[in-house]
Amino acid sequence: MAFEEKLADLARRKSRALAMGGEEKLARRRAEGHLNARERIEQLLDPGSFLESGLFATSHRPEDCDRTPADGKIAGYGKIEGRPVALVSNDFTVMGASSSVVNGKKIRHMREVATRSGMPLIFLGESAGARMPDRMGAAGRAILGQDPAEYQRLRQSPWVSALLGPCYGSSTWYACMSDYVVMRKGALLAVASSRVTSMAINQPVDAEELGGWKLHAETTGLTDLVVNTDEEALAAIRRFLGYLPTNHNEAPPRRPVPEGAGKSADRILEIVPDNPAKVYDVRKVIEAVADPGSMLELKARFGKSISIVLARLDGSSVGVIANNPLFKGGAIDVDACAKATGFLVFCDSFNIPVVFLVDQPGFLIGLDGERRGAPGKIINWMNALSLVTVPKISVVMRKSYGQAYLNMGGGRNSDEVVCWPSADLGFMAPAVGANVLQGGKKSDAPGRHQQVAEEISRDTSAWGLASLYEAQTVIDPRETRDCLVSLLAVYRSRHGSEVGKHLLSGWPTSY
Amino acid sequence: MADTKIVSEVAGSVWKILVEVGDQVSANTPVALIESMKMEVPVLASDDGLVVEIYLAVGDSIAEGQAVLAIRD
Repeated sequence: MAFEEKLADLARRKSRALAMGGEEKLARRRAEGHLNARERIEQLLDPGSFLESGLFATSHRPEDCDRTPADGKIAGYGKIEGRPVALVSNDFTVMGASSSVVNGKKIRHMREVATRSGMPLIFLGESAGARMPDRMGAAGRAILGQDPAEYQRLRQSPWVSALLGPCYGSSTWYACMSDYVVMRKGALLAVASSRVTSMAINQPVDAEELGGWKLHAETTGLTDLVVNTDEEALAAIRRFLGYLPTNHNEAPPRRPVPEGAGKSADRILEIVPDNPAKVYDVRKVIEAVADPGSMLELKARFGKSISIVLARLDGSSVGVIANNPLFKGGAIDVDACAKATGFLVFCDSFNIPVVFLVDQPGFLIGLDGERRGAPGKIINWMNALSLVTVPKISVVMRKSYGQAYLNMGGGRNSDEVVCWPSADLGFMAPAVGANVLQGGKKSDAPGRHQQVAEEISRDTSAWGLASLYEAQTVIDPRETRDCLVSLLAVYRSRHGSEVGKHLLSGWPTSY
Repeated sequence: MADTKIVSEVAGSVWKILVEVGDQVSANTPVALIESMKMEVPVLASDDGLVVEIYLAVGDSIAEGQAVLAIRD
């Protein structure tokens, strides 16, 4: 047969590359309950859709050639729900998926093709960081920094990261540039490993404390979702991408409206207490308003006094920014500011309309916030909001006090302001305001205090706002879904496509 | 048998304590209400557990991050 020897050689090389870091290491992973890099790709993509790029790439160092199949980073293209994606799956069994000259080229190629063709880029992270001795000495320096756009993020297509093991080096950096980050419990994300860190600062360092899921879900906010298994992480990526267009020049995909949509409207009156001193979980309101089963909350454990949620209304994706009185009474802290700002940037970049659900007693004032630069975070948010060009609709459910009234879309900071009859638009809670104005506490002058409090609460109602046309309508809370669906239809662009101007595309990815 | 301290996320004063020593509580249920910003802000249990000690009484002022009580899993 013609080519017989060459074809046999191809088959041999292929099978060697597909064997990854060898059966022993693969078996160890299996025993630990973790998928390997190729199994992850298989689970993530539509069956049979993977088209590999760089199966025969290896380390450029002759002594490492034979032990670096795919050079530790498996790359290629595939489909999720019939739509194209590009991906890099780190193979930890091959030299810890450490960063090298050749696998750096693979990442760069995936990034460039994803951008040029307009498709999402997915990183399945698990990597040890820089490969040694490749990165040592001047020669090592000379392979770094050859691509000045390596860390440039212009949000032309969605980027998603999963943290599925120890993540140092590229897995860390790409996660920090991604729009969505899923972390499996037990995975680690840090600048350097606990071993290296421990040696550098000469004291013991606990790996979980340094870069575990709790830190990133609750304190840094660098992850959007925490899961228990690889399988859950991959399913989460598929689900997330379903809300997004494949690139910034498309509208998000529309889905059929599920049965039962709009049937929960009456529940809103049971969820939200009439008494403004009582709290509730705003996510139940979103659930009652959105298409059934369409809620996807991001960063649920971080900056909890604001909930950010992807959902669908009448089959179309929306981004909801909602104050959650269940946490800190809904007072907006520094973390909640960063969370809301990041979500505005994300929604605007991918043509997703924004809905504010407002019930907030103001920014959380105090020493901690000021030390962390609260004023800067508040104005960052306003700057971002002013650059948003997707439709913005603000629903004032109960309180909207202070400067935060503007951050939550008050005035012309939304395209439409809708009030419930329970809306209260004061500068601060009337009783607190009276204390401030009187320079003392209630007991100092009870009669006068009451009078001042009444003066403050005058004209802070929905009706006051509506009569000045600062609220465009006042609705029964049970009409919220219908009202939002109708308004979003009004604001759907008819200028050829539902695509915004993306003035936030170069906004920092982490701040 | 580790004790977990359940802390308030906000500064304010203790408005109500909803459990007693010996009560079994489950994660994400309110164990106390703090009056803060003229609202009744709940303190939620972070985990399941048995209430072993209560540090504060109704009317006490409380700082952000201060423990209200301890539970044991």
